[in-house]
Amino acid sequence: MFNYYLRLAAISIRRHWGLSLIMITAIGLGIGTAMTTVTVNYMMSANPIPQKSEQLFYVQLDSWDVNDPFDEGQNPPDQMTYTDATNLFKADKAFRHSISAQAFAVIEPQDPDLLPITVNARANSADFFAMFNVPFLYGGAWSAQADTNKELVAVINRETNDSLFAGKNSVGELIRIDGNLFKIVGVIDNWQPTPKYYDVTSGAFNDTEELFVPFSLIAEEKITRAGNTSCWKPSGDGMAAFLRSECIWIQFWVELRDEQEQQDYLTFLDAYVEQQKQLGRFERPLDNRLSNVMQWLENQEVVADDAKMMMAMSFMFLVVCLLNTVGLLLAKFLGKAPEIGLRQALGASKATLFYQYLVESACIGLGGGLLGLVLAWLGLQSVAAMYGDYMKDLTSLDTTMVLLAMLLALGSTVIAGLYPTWRACNVQPSQQLKSQ
Amino acid sequence: MLTMKNICKVFQTSDVQTHALRDFNLNVNEGDFLSVTGPSGSGKTTFLNIAGLLETYTSGEFLLDGEDVGKLNDNGRSRFRNEKIGFIFQGFNLIADLNLFDNVDVPLRYRGFNAKERKRRIEENLERVGLASRMKHLPSQLSGGQQQRVAIARALATDPRFLLADEPTGNLDTDMAQGVMSLLEEINRQGTTIIMVTHDSELAQRSGRTIQVKDGRVSEAAAFNQKAIA
Amino acid sequence: MLESGLIIRALMRNKIGALLIALQIALTMTIMVNAIFMIQDRQQQMARESGINEEDTFYLTNTIFAQDYNIQVGLQTDLNAIRKTPGVVDAIQINAIPLSGGGWSSGLQTEPGEDKDGIGTAIYMVDDHAINALDLELIAGTNFSPSDIGWRLPAQSAWPAKVIITQALANSLFPDNGQSALGKTVYISNNQPMQVIGIIKNLQAPWNGWSGVERSALVPFQMESRSGRYFIRTEPGRRDELMPVIESMLANSDKGRIIRRLSTMEETREQSYRQHNATNKILMTVVSTLTLITAFGIVGLAIFSINRRTKQIGTRRALGATRWQVMRYFMVENFFISAVGITIGIIGTVSLNYWLVNKFNMTPLGFELIALGVVTLVIVGQLAVLYPARKAALISPATATRTV
Repeated sequence: MFNYYLRLAAISIRRHWGLSLIMITAIGLGIGTAMTTVTVNYMMSANPIPQKSEQLFYVQLDSWDVNDPFDEGQNPPDQMTYTDATNLFKADKAFRHSISAQAFAVIEPQDPDLLPITVNARANSADFFAMFNVPFLYGGAWSAQADTNKELVAVINRETNDSLFAGKNSVGELIRIDGNLFKIVGVIDNWQPTPKYYDVTSGAFNDTEELFVPFSLIAEEKITRAGNTSCWKPSGDGMAAFLRSECIWIQFWVELRDEQEQQDYLTFLDAYVEQQKQLGRFERPLDNRLSNVMQWLENQEVVADDAKMMMAMSFMFLVVCLLNTVGLLLAKFLGKAPEIGLRQALGASKATLFYQYLVESACIGLGGGLLGLVLAWLGLQSVAAMYGDYMKDLTSLDTTMVLLAMLLALGSTVIAGLYPTWRACNVQPSQQLKSQ
Repeated sequence: MLTMKNICKVFQTSDVQTHALRDFNLNVNEGDFLSVTGPSGSGKTTFLNIAGLLETYTSGEFLLDGEDVGKLNDNGRSRFRNEKIGFIFQGFNLIADLNLFDNVDVPLRYRGFNAKERKRRIEENLERVGLASRMKHLPSQLSGGQQQRVAIARALATDPRFLLADEPTGNLDTDMAQGVMSLLEEINRQGTTIIMVTHDSELAQRSGRTIQVKDGRVSEAAAFNQKAIA
Repeated sequence: MLESGLIIRALMRNKIGALLIALQIALTMTIMVNAIFMIQDRQQQMARESGINEEDTFYLTNTIFAQDYNIQVGLQTDLNAIRKTPGVVDAIQINAIPLSGGGWSSGLQTEPGEDKDGIGTAIYMVDDHAINALDLELIAGTNFSPSDIGWRLPAQSAWPAKVIITQALANSLFPDNGQSALGKTVYISNNQPMQVIGIIKNLQAPWNGWSGVERSALVPFQMESRSGRYFIRTEPGRRDELMPVIESMLANSDKGRIIRRLSTMEETREQSYRQHNATNKILMTVVSTLTLITAFGIVGLAIFSINRRTKQIGTRRALGATRWQVMRYFMVENFFISAVGITIGIIGTVSLNYWLVNKFNMTPLGFELIALGVVTLVIVGQLAVLYPARKAALISPATATRTV
């Protein structure tokens, strides 16, 4: 019977193509708009590292001004001071820990005729690569000794390797940065976590860095620091004074494998802050926080307000489109009252008729869903074009989204079709057969 | 075959009760060709709707093919209509969107026959009404008489025990009406019971037996039937 | 009107159809009014003036990589060369670009001390050419003199003794009398004094979403920086012609650095408000498609109800109704449905706005926009029903006598 109903639906849709077209267009537009905004929200709120997002924790300590609390006292500072970060690092209480900050470098090519290239860089400790599951094309991370010994080693990403070494295995090669020669120990394969959770301070959807060097080189002034820096107290002159200051500019992550390790680490942090209080720092009440990846992204509100607002709007839009469909389906099905009466006379039960018209609704839903997918794709292309870099990693439709779109289209159309269908199969046959 | 005992049908509208049928009694035998006549508003349409299980009745007893159809639920009535009753309407009631083949196919689908059997029945019955060659045409491409023939083919396709015809020639000119009437007589001769509602006494005379409905009651006027037989 | 009762009774018999249209109109109004409100809000933000000349200006980044490079000498050489280039009005070194999204801020306070409240201020480190290069309007006081300009080492904590502030900042610092700011001393880094020697009309901070976007200060500094920015103003209309000239002149004059990230102020504004623009475009598209869909819904259902009532309409015509009376019937009917929809819509609009205000810190919307929404939807409804109503009016009175 299903095939028969499909054929009847096809005939009905073709014979009333104007009405069907309006309905399919309405659903398509509704689904297209909804899916465009849902996709952007979904990508923005995606879990960038599902395997271990529960084990990675961002560390926050409230070292801020007692007279003018950070974020009006709602949250501790979103980055860490050099003093605290290096103290926690030296204490070495976590399974793994990463101390890192943004940096900036000019790489001078060996060929003097070529122009130097500027790159966004990151200064980080060795564990960074293992903690964040960074994939390597060649070589690998530097060792923990390289951090302590302040070795001039570097990891570059695939694009930089392509432009400097034409994509060849460059492990062991030297590059010149600000007059110093760095030895390449690894080349990172394509890697773009979305959101870029390990550092959201200058944009949660920025590109990953092109060059990575040991964090200890910042203090040596072998690499130039970059990124957001906030201070509540004058820092004094020179690099050494800056490092001693209360300025925050470092992201500190730890990897803790279970509840017990988390508890222990929090206890350790509390003890550390208490000890610092003795030294006259940390005048604010104790407020140490460990946030796992998803908590941290939530806390940093990486899903833009605009995106949330537009998703709300687009769902209302979808509701309008569905109301439209309910109205038109009702008109269409009630227009078929004589046919429905006849089918009843010829032996169709209510259940059969219900099934038949539900199949027709579903067909329209399917059409709307397919159109919606095309529109969503177009919508995402134009979102990407209009918003530029900010949205470029947020606008691809994956299989989950395609399935969701089809399900949403089918589900909502079938629901929209329920009332008209119910009305249709409650037609009184004897009234329809006599009066023509 | 069909027995109605004291059937009453009351329509209740806000504060007025209308008795469409009161103590309606009728017995139809296998192979009969029964005409039901009467002025408009007499209750003959209500009789047809009840006889065809399109409407329920208020009280009384109704046996159809030996079964007490008053006990059937909506689904049961649908199945009964599909298996045992064929309908022919004044307005033909073909589905405008479907071609002749698909129109005749409708009741067969609900019966659940396989594709081969359906095709055989459709072709056989369209052949029988002389329209096999126009199977792919839409109803709007046919004349009224041809449309009614398709409706008859559709009614016959399920091999019903009896046909209910409601003014089958009401919308047709005389020539076409003659043709349709001959077809019905032919079908009756082959053994199908037919109940025909009409206000045309001339047509009624051609059937084996005529009853007249007046104010919701049967007032049998069999006199001229005898004459017809003679 | 005589027919009103009749129309309402007829509507009540087909409640669901009418209700569906009314609900569509209600939701359309809710979305439309709020979306237009958001669009206006963004347009107002975008319409604010940065205070600087955006047509004839551009900037670039000068990144030094050579070791043992004399930055101070290099900077003077570069600025002299640029300023001497024909067509250039003026040029400065600057630490941040208005609207660009990246810059420095610091608290300014009227009394010294760590426990005193500071007013967040965008800090622009520039020399005495800034007012000319940025094309700022000095409304009180004087410009810096060349001798005021200090040399700032990286991570230096000392500030110069003079400052020029915007009018908005003056009003924030001295709420009682912004005019009195001239000559007063303000404190930076809690206790370093700076004297206000000038007030400029407008200069926006680099962050367009910041509530204090109009609060900026010019501080007389040139910076020892290995990655500095030059801001250049040309004679009107000569910007595009001079950009490559200056780029290649700088690049060729000194191989110890690279010149990169050339950008005009117009591009910066475009980048800065890109999200606003994009969001507005999307909202506009949503509003217009939504209105179209609702209009189509009205057309579809009206045609259906007219088809169902063909014979009835024919009978009316046979009984003497004029074409206009038939049309009027459907237009009045649509008006009643719209009225119900719009009433629900007003409630919806205010509720959605309330939610947006609470959730996204938006301002409550005004009465005029709601009125505009009401008028628009009544017109859309009447226009949508026009075609079906005309179709109804064209039904022949002869339909009444036709049986089939």
